[in-house]
Amino acid sequence: MSGRLKLNRRRFLKTAGAAIAAPYFIPSRVFSAPGRPGANERVIVALIGAGGRGNSLTKEMKRSEIGHEAEIGAICDVDENRLRSSLRDYEAGVMPYRDYRYILERKDIDAVILGTPDHWHAVQTVHAAECGKHIYVEKPACCTIEEGKAMVKAVNNAKVACQVGSQGRSQREAYLAHRYLVNGNVGHISKVWCFHYASPADNNPVPDSDPPAELDWDFWLGPLRWRPYNRKYLPGSFRWMMESGGGQIRDRGAHVMSCAMWWMGADGTGPTEIEATNVRFPTQGVWDACIDMTVTYTFKNPDWVMIWDQKGDSLNPDAPRGEKRVAGEDEISREGYGAIYHGDKGTFTHWGGDGGTWAERKAREWVPPAGFKDVYKSPGHFEDWFEGIKSGAKTIMNIEAAVGVANLTVLGNLSAVLGRKIQWDQAKGEIVGDEEARRLMGRPQRYPYCL
Amino acid sequence: MSAKKWKGAAIATAAISAALASTAKAADALSLDELIAKIRDKNDKVRAEAMFGAGKVGARAVKPLAEVMATDADFEIARAARRAMWQIVRSVGRPGADRERKATVAELLPLVGEGRPAAVRREAMWMLSEIAGDEAVAPAAAVLKDKELREDARMVLQRLPGEKSLAALKAGLAAAPEDFKPNIASSLRARGVETPGIPNERRVPKKSTDVKPLDEAQLEKEKAAKTPRRRGNKQ
Repeated sequence: MSGRLKLNRRRFLKTAGAAIAAPYFIPSRVFSAPGRPGANERVIVALIGAGGRGNSLTKEMKRSEIGHEAEIGAICDVDENRLRSSLRDYEAGVMPYRDYRYILERKDIDAVILGTPDHWHAVQTVHAAECGKHIYVEKPACCTIEEGKAMVKAVNNAKVACQVGSQGRSQREAYLAHRYLVNGNVGHISKVWCFHYASPADNNPVPDSDPPAELDWDFWLGPLRWRPYNRKYLPGSFRWMMESGGGQIRDRGAHVMSCAMWWMGADGTGPTEIEATNVRFPTQGVWDACIDMTVTYTFKNPDWVMIWDQKGDSLNPDAPRGEKRVAGEDEISREGYGAIYHGDKGTFTHWGGDGGTWAERKAREWVPPAGFKDVYKSPGHFEDWFEGIKSGAKTIMNIEAAVGVANLTVLGNLSAVLGRKIQWDQAKGEIVGDEEARRLMGRPQRYPYCL
Repeated sequence: MSAKKWKGAAIATAAISAALASTAKAADALSLDELIAKIRDKNDKVRAEAMFGAGKVGARAVKPLAEVMATDADFEIARAARRAMWQIVRSVGRPGADRERKATVAELLPLVGEGRPAAVRREAMWMLSEIAGDEAVAPAAAVLKDKELREDARMVLQRLPGEKSLAALKAGLAAAPEDFKPNIASSLRARGVETPGIPNERRVPKKSTDVKPLDEAQLEKEKAAKTPRRRGNKQ
């Protein structure tokens, strides 16, 4: 939907009048039905957050089946050096921005990929939706319960396609695992034990300092309350700040628990009680996310528990090692996380859960009998997003599902921070019986970086 | 045993159990002097013992810890003191600990006032935002006049529940200089109050970059140059 737009016949007939008067660069909105490109049109995408992850997302998109349908129209970052160096990964003429809001004003941009730190996900998703942009936002969706509610509302009001980056759901072996489980091969599942290794501690803390000249610290902080710059906060290490990344439970929990909620048919449901135990916090530095933690989520009707168990330097000592694969099979390169599903007829294990998801052999070798129950097979995470953009279909990791998973991680951390159980009312989307915890369902945001 | 006597015995047993539990808790807790000494220790493991034990020491440790936070030249010791204060706040905020909560709020309120370092005032306000009621409204509202801290004060008032904090935001809006009115209006909107006539600039772009787009020749040159190591974290 750019100047390089190839008009198909249907589209040509529909828009000929406008095209005659159009300049060389034809904004997408000149031609399209409100916000929804046609089947043969290119989608102009902007990358917001041109760091390591953001740039790899655009590469993944270009490599995917829909790569030829996508064009990068702009990139954005609050670090001038990073922005400058990222430009070389794209085509000539791609516009660089520090302020994502310039991108949202551009009528020719159809969609945005948000590769920013977690504390920006909600605000930028809401703003992008309000401007009619389709959204691919990295996981976890939100940092607070209230952010999640605002994201769902904004995306639904705008009727845009939103895909959240828990791409485990779109992996081939995830499909095999899902199919295996829903066909009762391990029986009724009463427990899902998610394993992961620990979050890191900072053993070399540094004092706060002035930010480097190339970094817009105010903009990096965005909605977070102000604090002095410390070089341990970024770039990737925002992951270990409770207010932003929230540690492994929010990083990989948003993958492993995403698979669990999908395969258990539990999207849209939630636990009644959340309790963090075995919690170990860092003893120094600015990283404050839990090093070790065990979080138990109790679900009712149907009754089951999910446990997030995070410990060990590079491997959870209680976790199974990655299954040996034979020649020609996809090697398990991330055995440090995954889950075991405990049913009344057996167990099932998977490793990974993100862009690498590996199912135990018995699920891979299972031959479905006649009349088996099949499940949705994603064509790929970006492909599924583009299908949502073009047809309006719900994406596999849609905003409701993603907020549901992010809420699990938020509530787990909240229980750890407060040192007590949390009672949760899923229907209302609220914590009950604990005034302090209720106040922490949201956090006021700095103006103008607010929902 | 009659029902009345049984009830009396049960109450007495419960009282004894509560007293024993309280004694056991007190025995586990550090003394205030021990807490502060450990917070000032050079060893982070010793400091951690104090940080994570501060909740049991409670309200009386708030002021001494704030003093350490404000004055200790060792940034790690100052951080430990701040984190210990947060441990107290999270402990006394638990359901059923109203007396401890109120005592802690009473210790935090004076820390918001002028004459303290900005870092302490800011932190104290955010602590109050989690556990305080109307008693924190006036101290926070007073900070709306402080250019360095007014944004924190505005956000804290947004979080404090009830009519009094809402009234303080409305009064703050009326009294605010023009450049700060949109900030307070955003809090009022978050609380469900319309603010006609005051701009909401949350989606208005303001920050320009000095980086220029690359033309074909520049791009070729850039690609030919050695690619520097890219910082980042895989998600």
